[in-house]
Formats: sequence, structure tokens, C-alpha cells
Amino acid sequence: MINDLLIVVVIAQTLTAATPLLLAGCGELVAERGGVLNIGIEGLMLTGCIAAFAVTAITGNSWLGLLVAMGAAMVLGAGFALMAITARADQIVAGMALNLVAVGVSGTVWRALQSHGVTELPASAGFSRGWFGWSGWSSFNDLPVIGPLFFDLYGLSIATAGLLLLTWWVLRRTRIGIVIQAIGELPDAAAAAGESVHRWRWGVVLFAAACAGAAGAFLSIMRTHAFVPEMTGGKGFVVLALVMFGRWRISWLIAGCLLFGLADSVQQQLQSLPGSRALPYQFFQMLPYVVALVALAGLSRSAPGPAALGKPWPVSR
Amino acid sequence: MIRFASITKTFSGVTALAGVSLTAATGTVHGVLGENGAGKSTLMRIAFGLERADHGAIEIGSSENRTSSGPRSPRDAARLGLGMVHQHFTLVPTATVTEACVLGASHGLGLVDHAAWQARIRATAAMLQWQIDPDARISSLGVGQQQRVEIIKALLSVGSVQGTASPFSARGVLILDEPTAVLTPQEVDELLPAVRRLAAAGTTVLFISHKLHEVERVCDAVTILRRGAVVHSGPVAGLSTQRMAELMVGTTVNLPSPARQPVTGAPALVITKLSERANAPAPRLTDVSFTVHQNEIVAIAGVDGNGQTALVRCVLGLDRADAVVTPGIPADQRLAGVERIGLIPDDRQHEALVMELSIERNLVLKDHHRPPFARYGWLDFAAWRAHAVDLVQRFSIRGAGPAATVASLSGGNQQKVVIARELHRQPKLIVAINPTRGLDVAASAEVLERLVSARDHGAAVLLVHHDLDELLSVADRVLVLFGGRMTDSGWPACDRAHIGRLMLGVA
Repeated sequence: MINDLLIVVVIAQTLTAATPLLLAGCGELVAERGGVLNIGIEGLMLTGCIAAFAVTAITGNSWLGLLVAMGAAMVLGAGFALMAITARADQIVAGMALNLVAVGVSGTVWRALQSHGVTELPASAGFSRGWFGWSGWSSFNDLPVIGPLFFDLYGLSIATAGLLLLTWWVLRRTRIGIVIQAIGELPDAAAAAGESVHRWRWGVVLFAAACAGAAGAFLSIMRTHAFVPEMTGGKGFVVLALVMFGRWRISWLIAGCLLFGLADSVQQQLQSLPGSRALPYQFFQMLPYVVALVALAGLSRSAPGPAALGKPWPVSR
Repeated sequence: MIRFASITKTFSGVTALAGVSLTAATGTVHGVLGENGAGKSTLMRIAFGLERADHGAIEIGSSENRTSSGPRSPRDAARLGLGMVHQHFTLVPTATVTEACVLGASHGLGLVDHAAWQARIRATAAMLQWQIDPDARISSLGVGQQQRVEIIKALLSVGSVQGTASPFSARGVLILDEPTAVLTPQEVDELLPAVRRLAAAGTTVLFISHKLHEVERVCDAVTILRRGAVVHSGPVAGLSTQRMAELMVGTTVNLPSPARQPVTGAPALVITKLSERANAPAPRLTDVSFTVHQNEIVAIAGVDGNGQTALVRCVLGLDRADAVVTPGIPADQRLAGVERIGLIPDDRQHEALVMELSIERNLVLKDHHRPPFARYGWLDFAAWRAHAVDLVQRFSIRGAGPAATVASLSGGNQQKVVIARELHRQPKLIVAINPTRGLDVAASAEVLERLVSARDHGAAVLLVHHDLDELLSVADRVLVLFGGRMTDSGWPACDRAHIGRLMLGVA
């Protein structure tokens, strides 16, 4: 069967592995275009992981799990916005705080769940593959090549593709994109045009948080059906690097995320090769990070990025 | 038409405006003159809705637009038909002209109809007889072009909010806040007719300035403010620039006219056949040679962008140039060394001052690590304070004391901080680039007097300046840069027109 060919399997895995990066990256790209550097994206993803897992495990409703994951990440994101935007604290410090809080909270919640015997999702819960569970599509899953690459994906992967397109369009064709450009490059210009810089920056931060929360939910209740402490494993930081090396362009972000996903998929195949036991498995897990960062660092020319990135506004009060 | 009626505004007990009344008739250009701190900025901020007046009323267009204490916000001002072009542009460098106009002249979040906006921009530009490419990036435009974008944006903001098909509405009011401060003489010559065309189309223009001859050239009427009060209001015709200056500053201002003296000093800057490499961007400096001696001010005249930047970088040692010799100062020590050059750069807020630091710290910025400001690796803050108190007094820096941030000072006092720091150590060579840019008449005169006095005490001064009148009032010799080539005008044995022709390359 053609769908069992290694290449098809690898590409399908690539799309799945790239989804959380694309999702979180889309949000972070918008936030950075708007001048807010949130290095707490890792913590927001982790928050999404545990929130989605806990809610889905307890209620059995994976939709609710996804929504709560986004909501929990937005609450944490609001805390970041309060510090970094409203109180004009250093964005790096506020982002670090977010990461530390998320590790602590997710660990605590995880232990509380364990003590109540909740350690895995009920068999019926969690998202399965297919377009958001609509059975009509699953009949296409066996189509040669396009079945596994287009129909036999998680719904969120497909939604992510749509989100990327929509974001690209909004940034390029609407006044929202123009205002976001202004708050990221020259916030004074946005203020002079009667826009509230703070309100807009809150907006992009909450959008990024919701995206990161959904990315976390993807990791726990879709891809792995489990929660492991610190399961994001630095993917939030990879996202930061991909946005930066991708020169804040959506096309380059997609390329970077797909490359990371491909390397991830390849290392999974390598691990299943006979004789791979000779090397510690961590070696294989390291590969995608190395490949993506080396390739992007080599390929991309450095770009200055949004001029007001990381700078609180107004500059002096 | 715009009418201010008895506008009063106080800031924490200090009166900024004391019952200012002003009426600008429809279709006229009305000058608002005043020194820095006279209250003209505050008045305009009230008109534009950035500040609220304590008392008084503003009427824009017609009586139904009368508001008790001015518009509540810039958006409100636009609704009433008032647009403003600020002195400091608020254009996003990475945006296109169209995007800049969409940002500034419309609201909402929706889809942008690029074609319609481009048509509106072209129509407005055509009306002012300007060439504007709506797709050009702001960062690729010169200052003069950027200002045109700001003006078009302000006009569109008024038109679009009123929903009129034409970008202009007869009752529209446009405030131009010191529009010529950043322009070259050629750009000024292009702007002023456009301002007249605007008025002819029915727009009321408030022209804020402290350049008297520009007010004389472009305004129908003028209101002169001093210390928050109107000292004169009436037609420009029949009012001499000398009289305007007197009204503005209260006393007769004389630009310093130094006694010319023969050059006797030793050379302090010798440039011999300085040429940029063949592939340097135009204008390429070619065969530039001149000498600046102690006890003289050598001025470089020229339209901005004819090689001044490259020349200054070579003189300062920022770019390596063996053709430039500063006797006694090694090339790599020109800025950093003990014997360094006194530098008054063009952009004081970025290249000379750290705006968030105090006056005191800015004054020791270049010497804080040397005695008497530091001993054995320890900083001596008492010495810093004493130094600052001394310089604040000697250079009459007016502000909230040495501990206040430089950002809290007016432009003129910021420049005084730069001059105090650079001149108090009596450098042998002073390089000053547009040292009076953005300053009012009195502050400009003071800056020029400082340069003359430094010259009289033995300094060699290289003055690169965009204001020809000021330049001629202090220069001992005038060289002209055009297209990267240097010509000695022969000043003072030539007339102003000859220099003007050299600057334009038509001599």
C-alpha cells in the first residue's frame, strides 16, 4: 500500500510535529510584530498542556479541554501583559517569570491529579485524527497519498493552516495589520493616529497566549494523549528562534516549523531502526533542534526586526 | 476658520497661556510666532485635543462647531475639521505612503481599499502639485518627502472623517508646527508655495514658526506670543522682520557680526585631496582640500546631501581617511582622546545626549572616568555636581537643576548642555553641524555667540550649517560643497547670491 511508504509516513509525521510550533509561532509572530517579545511562550504552552489534560481527563470532554487550555494560557498571558505592557516592566524578565510560574503550577496540578488517581485520559476522550471528528471525512483517509497527508490529520493541524492564512491576510490587507505594524515599529505613530498602544499590545499578547495554549493542548490531548512534566521540552524557545530567524515573516516561519517537524519525524524513524539502541535516545531527540537551528542560522540573513520590539511604551513617563 | 477665545491653561500653578485669543480667517495662512516656551505648542496641543484648556473656547469652521474648551481628542479634532502636522514626524519607517495615510487618516479595523486610498493620495498630491508614489516606503523618502506625506495624511484625516468626496473641505484647518525646521532651503522653497495653494483651496493654515523671513513670505496675518500672552496680532504686510523679532523676544536681537580678523593661527585641521573610494554612493567626495586654522570659523555651506555627512565622518575619524590630518590629535583619538575635538552633532537627542540621564551626568559623559571626576577608579559624584552647577550657571542652562533629566529640558537648553560639555574644555578644534536646528531666535543667537567666542579664544571651528543667513553672520571663510566637490566662495569678498549659485551648482 502506497500509504505505508516511508516517505508518506515521514511527511504525515512532519505535519503533526510541526503543528504546535506553527500554532504558537503564529501567535508569537503577531505579538512580536506588535513590539512585544514574550519569551514565556514555553510556559504558556506548558500551561495549555496541563490545563487541556486535566480538564479532558476529568470531564471526558476534549473540546472543553482545548478551550480551557486557551483560556488558562490567556489568564497567564494577561499577567504578562499587566507586567510588561501596563506596568512597563522588562519584557524578558516578565517572560522568565511566566516560564517559572508555569513549571511550578503545572507540576503542582499534575501531582494533585496523580494523588486523585487521574493519570491518563479516558479511552474515549482526547481528539482523534480526522477533521474534528466529522466522520464524513474519515472515508477519505485511505485515499492514496492525500489520505494521510490531508485527511488523516488532527483537526487542529488543519485549523492551524487556516489560521496562518487568515493571519497573513489580516496583517497584509486590513487596517489591523497596519496598526500592528505601527505599534511594533513606532508606537508614537499609532498613538498619534488615536489608537491605544496599550490596548493593541494587550490584544496581540492575548492572541499569542491563546495560540500557545492551543499548541499545548495539541501536545497533551492530541499528539501524546498524556501529560509528562515539562513535556514542552523547549519547543517554546524553538518557536522564538524560528520567528526571529524567519525575519518575522509568516512564509519563513512555516518553512522553519516544517523543517523542525521533518527532522523530528526523521529522528523518530531513526530510533526505530535496528541497532539504534547503541546510541542513547536523547541523541535522536536532540537532532531536530540542531537541524532547525543550524539550517535557519545558516540560511537566514539577519534582520533588525520590529524597531520597538521589547521596548515598553511610552519610553519615559 | 478657527477662533481661539481667551484660552487659559496652567500646568501645576505655572501659567502657560493667559487668555490667548486668535482668529484665523478661512483661506488664509496665519503665522503663530513665539520663542520656545512662549506657549505656541501648548495652544496648538489644545486645538488638536491633546490638552484641555482651563478656560476659553475654540470655534472651528462655524458656530455649530464651537466647543467649550477645545476638542477632546485628536480624533475629535479631525471630526471638527482640524488636522495637524507635528514637528517630529510620526511615520512608521517600514510602512508605505498608503499605509501611513490609512493609519493616520482613518479608523476601524476593516479591509483596506488600497486602490481608493492611492487615488485619494494622488489627488491630494496633484492638487498641491507634488509627486508622491503611494507605494514608496517611508524609509526610502527624504525628510521633505516625508513631510509631504504628513501633510497629505493630515488633510485626508480631515476629509475622510467629514466624509467629503474631495480631500479638502473649505472649512478645514491645518496646523503646521515648525514645518521648515527640518527642511533644506530648496525644500522650504517648494513647501511655501504649496502652503499658499492650500489656502487658495479654502483651507485655513496655522503656520507655527520662529523663522521670521518665512512668516513674511507665506503668511497673511501673524499672531506673536510672548510668555503665554498675545503681544501682537495683525496682518503681516507692513510689519518688518526686525519688528517681529523685537515683539517676540522683547528686545532687539542682533545676530553676532564678528569683526573679521586676518587668519593668524596654526592649522588645526588639514585636508589634502580627500576623495571617497570609486564605488562610494553619490555624492562621492572628490578632491576636497581645505585647512581650518586656530582663530577662524570655516563654514561649509551646501544643500543637505551633497557630501556633508561623509566629510564630517572623515574629519571625526569615524571613517578612515589618510587625507585628513588634525595636527596634535591622532586620527583614532579625535573623539575619545584627551585632545579630542569638540563636537556639536546634528542630532543632539541621539548623538550628543542620553535623554534619560540627568543634566549632571550628560555634562560629564565624556570625562567621567578621568580626574577630577574619577580617582583611582572611584567616581567622585561631588565633583560631578560641582562641575554641573558651574556649567549650568556659566552657560545659563535653564531647567529644574542639575539632577533633572535632559529630556525635561527645552530644545534650546538641551543644546546648551551639549555646548557646555563640548566647549568648557576649550578644544582646539570644534566641529558643529546645524547647531541651531530647531532652536528659536534667541537660543540660536546664543549658540552662534558661543562659537564666535570660542573662535576668539583660539579655537578652530568647522561649521556645517543649513541656515545660510546664520552661517554668513559668523563665518570667516565660506566653502561650498556641491555634488561632493568643494569650492571656496571667496567670502567675505563675494555676495550671498554667489554662494547660493555655488550651492546649486550653477555658478
